[in-house]
Amino acid sequence: MATANSTKPQIGIGHRTEAEWRSVQRQQHRQKLINRILLTIVTGVIVLIFFFPIWFWVTASFKTFTGIFQMPPQLIGFDAIGSWWSTVIGGRPYLEVVQETVGANAGTGGGGTVGYYVVPFLVNSAITGFLSTLVVIAVATPTAYALSRFNPRGKQNIVFFILSTRFMPAFAAVLPITQIYRFIGWDDTRFGLVLAHVLVNLPLAILLLKSFFDDVPTDLDDAAMVDGCNRWGAFWRIIIRYVLPGMGAAAVLCLIFSWNEFLFALYLVRIPDLSTLPVFLAGFDTASGGTEWGFLAAAGTAAMVPVFIFILFVQRSLIRGLTLGAVRG
Amino acid sequence: MAQSDSVMVGMSPSAKERPGQKRGFFNSSNPWLWLSPALIFLLLYSLGPLILNLVMSFTEFKARQKTFEFIGLENWSNLFQDSRFQNAVSITLQYVVIALIIQVFLGILIAILLDARPFGVGLMQTLIILPMVTAPVVSGMLFRLLTHSEFGYIDFIFQNLGIVTKDEPLIGGKGVYALMGVLLVEIWQWTPFIVLIVLAGLKSIPTEVLEAAEVDGANGWQRFWWVKLPLLRTVLSIAILFRLVDLFRVFDYVAVLTAGGPALHTETLSYYGYVNTFQQVKFGYGATIGVFVMIVVWIVAFSYIRIFRMKW
Repeated sequence: MATANSTKPQIGIGHRTEAEWRSVQRQQHRQKLINRILLTIVTGVIVLIFFFPIWFWVTASFKTFTGIFQMPPQLIGFDAIGSWWSTVIGGRPYLEVVQETVGANAGTGGGGTVGYYVVPFLVNSAITGFLSTLVVIAVATPTAYALSRFNPRGKQNIVFFILSTRFMPAFAAVLPITQIYRFIGWDDTRFGLVLAHVLVNLPLAILLLKSFFDDVPTDLDDAAMVDGCNRWGAFWRIIIRYVLPGMGAAAVLCLIFSWNEFLFALYLVRIPDLSTLPVFLAGFDTASGGTEWGFLAAAGTAAMVPVFIFILFVQRSLIRGLTLGAVRG
Repeated sequence: MAQSDSVMVGMSPSAKERPGQKRGFFNSSNPWLWLSPALIFLLLYSLGPLILNLVMSFTEFKARQKTFEFIGLENWSNLFQDSRFQNAVSITLQYVVIALIIQVFLGILIAILLDARPFGVGLMQTLIILPMVTAPVVSGMLFRLLTHSEFGYIDFIFQNLGIVTKDEPLIGGKGVYALMGVLLVEIWQWTPFIVLIVLAGLKSIPTEVLEAAEVDGANGWQRFWWVKLPLLRTVLSIAILFRLVDLFRVFDYVAVLTAGGPALHTETLSYYGYVNTFQQVKFGYGATIGVFVMIVVWIVAFSYIRIFRMKW
């Protein structure tokens, strides 16, 4: 320490003893710490502002009827009740819960006829998401490999075409697809919706996976082919193992986007037995006296939680996925 | 070892032209064989609707006879005289520009703060991702409660700050501030996207570059403006491209939050098209709007990719 310090006092500051230097250092250290604490406070406040709506929504699902509308909202330490959840997850009759939480004379909204039992819709969303993800990964992986390894004529145009399938506004794509589906008898089938979700997710998965393939050295392909594999063998036996994490990330993202997708799910499957969660959630009328909000908060939270859990696994690959592989996270 | 490996690879016949392999389409070194499943699927599912929409845009749907009648370019000429369409164009442009500017600035700011490594940066990063993966329907609904004119907390805060009034709340009233209400969700949900991308960009800047700037006497602000920002150009251009494509097609928030109202103050192009197709059964006109939006997005994306010379 002493030797390091002794080189410093020369430049125009005058003479200082070692003890004085230590205190200067300590001061600088303290200043750095203070800066970092200030930084933490500023950043923390901004992050909390972004987190506030989610926290508000999650807590609302446990609040009493009056608690939800309290101003300003109580974000911690409120009286927690499980009534809303008992309907949403447990399937308790809607009216029973409304009478318990709101009172006997409460006006009832859309829930009176449909109910707020989300479990079947969670299951529908999960099945649709799972199947479409399966198809997406199966189709996207070889395509991504080819885009990474081969250089066919007009490759950039192919990529732009893949990208451009996202350009059509969903409302405009929905009607033609419903018409085609009706023509070939796929309307109101889960299969039809699954394929539509494949359309939504395929570009993302292809370009994301391509960026993962790009990271695997081509020497590995060459080595495999020297050892007697053909292209397919090199891909299937060797290279695919190196992109398994990428496939996982792509799968989770596809699952999330299928889970969140709204318009296709709304119009391609019009029977409640097959409806996904967003369609179910969007179907409620919140205008009638606010009786619905507790249920909605619980149902919305039920829709969020699985996604949040998935996200924890793929946080790092998330950026790559959302930018279709163009930015390495 | 490494050397002998590379020598071996160098001497082996190149992978592409190995003798004794089958030629023709079903040959595993034919790129088109690999690409065809995805391309065929995408062609069917994207060109199919596009062509049908194009055809429909030259027709009018007769609801009574349930038939399409060919009317030539009438839809297209009507489109450019339709004041409600012009309103939708203007709303969409306002939406795109305002959202983009705020998201980019706020996104860069938050990314820089996180990059300076405050305490608990990992947790903060996780928390900031959450808005982005919430279903748009759920976030629309959540903001419907938060912006409610009587018991919405955001509306309450805005009233206290004097931004909105009791008669003119965020959502409702005459709709003066309604677009701001929708933009709030948009900014809340997608600023994190810019944050993550810029953060990834900042992390990929080599520390030597920054150290060199520091040695040359650049202060924090100068290092950001002259060193970091230029190096962020690539990642930012990608982020902005993806936001642009999505912003032009905004639908979910409008549908869940305001349904285009009050008095068309939040009616974007996508929503106006949706109203035509699904509420007024004007399939032809709706399709025209759909094709119009697609062409706009196509032109924007295409020129954008050309200008920034993006390559995959």
